[in-house]
Amino acid sequence: MTTDISSIIATRERVLERLRTALIRQLRLHQTVDELDPDTPLFGSGLGLDSLDAVEIVVCLEQEFGIRLGDDAPSAARMRTLNTIANLVLAAQDGAK
Amino acid sequence: MIAAEALRMSAAVGRADHVAAVRITGGGAFNVLNRLSPRELFVRDGQILHTLLLREDARPLADLYVCADDEDFILLAEGLSGPALAEHVRAHAGANQIDVIDLTRDHAMISLDGPYAWEVFAELAGPEVIGLPYMSFFHGDGMTSFRVGKTGEYGYCLMVPRERVSSLYATLLDRGAAFDVAEADLAALDQCALENWFFNVRREGATDASPVELQLQWRVSYKRTFIGSEALARRRAEATRRLLMCVSSRELVMGAPVTHDGHTIGTIVNAGFSHTRGDWVATALVDRAYSHAGIAAYTSGDSPLRTLAAPALNNRSLYVNAQKHSYHTRHEAKFPPLVLPETLCGSPTER
Repeated sequence: MTTDISSIIATRERVLERLRTALIRQLRLHQTVDELDPDTPLFGSGLGLDSLDAVEIVVCLEQEFGIRLGDDAPSAARMRTLNTIANLVLAAQDGAK
Repeated sequence: MIAAEALRMSAAVGRADHVAAVRITGGGAFNVLNRLSPRELFVRDGQILHTLLLREDARPLADLYVCADDEDFILLAEGLSGPALAEHVRAHAGANQIDVIDLTRDHAMISLDGPYAWEVFAELAGPEVIGLPYMSFFHGDGMTSFRVGKTGEYGYCLMVPRERVSSLYATLLDRGAAFDVAEADLAALDQCALENWFFNVRREGATDASPVELQLQWRVSYKRTFIGSEALARRRAEATRRLLMCVSSRELVMGAPVTHDGHTIGTIVNAGFSHTRGDWVATALVDRAYSHAGIAAYTSGDSPLRTLAAPALNNRSLYVNAQKHSYHTRHEAKFPPLVLPETLCGSPTER
């Protein structure tokens, strides 16, 4: 694995790990960290979260990562999976550099 | 309008002969299904649970909806024929008293999918169907209407007596003409499923992968005993690959290796050209160390890959609201694009 790739992967893995832990706590999910696959749908099918859970995720992002969701992208698209939320976090961290 | 465009912009109707249906009756029905479903069988009357049927070695046998119908259950499955599904259930009944009826003998399935499918369906069945929640169903108008789909858009599966299926299909096309409804075959539906990261039992399910590798752990519970649970526990500990979504401007081929820096790290297991995106979309089983979104350093043959956070589309159905939108006034609404900039939906860290 090249250094570039390993750095990108390590960064995403760290974000995903924090997200999983935070969401299990915030949403009282019964899954363990390794049972939450990165591309599992969060709403509708998949984990079956609802609009109240979406608010909890917004709160979680603010508390855990200091990220406030702006209006620059449709929120429905940003919180479809752990990986799409990780994209948000990574983009915010990239922007803060 | 071609099927791919109709499925993403209006609605499309199709014969869903790939969906098998059986009804299970009798006092032992719950016990049998509880043994077959790897997911906790928590489903209320009129609701649908999305689960799987597994083989003993934990490979998926069928993609399964369990529908609680009063004291009975209706199963909708892809991956098995009606007779094979019925036989599978009977073979695992043990001492439980059940009766299994193959509904596909006398019924056929019609699919209706698209961001305005609800509006087309309301033309047929009345405005009350607009409020039918996702993953629920009802009997009425001589058919059973399941609010399910695997396209990422509003979707319905209509189970109709065989003698009525041709006339209903024709009626849907006739009423749907005002909504630019097109006909969608299985290939078009499979492409939509691929773009939206729905498990396809005929593609990803044709590999030797388990739900752990297929990112389907939300459909299993490790605390329960079911057909395949022992193997699943073992394979969970040994899993070395994970399914990953990727795109390319060049053709991607099922079965082709995924490589990085000259080393094979995975295999393409499902692929197709996306008319909506304008590029090739694929899923690949990739070594877990490499199986992450946001990387533009892999290749498959001569095709450069970019890995994505699934799904690959920003579906119109996320934004179409039956309370305020209509296909006929769609141009007055301002919807986000179907493909978002990758900093919002795809790969912010790619180089």
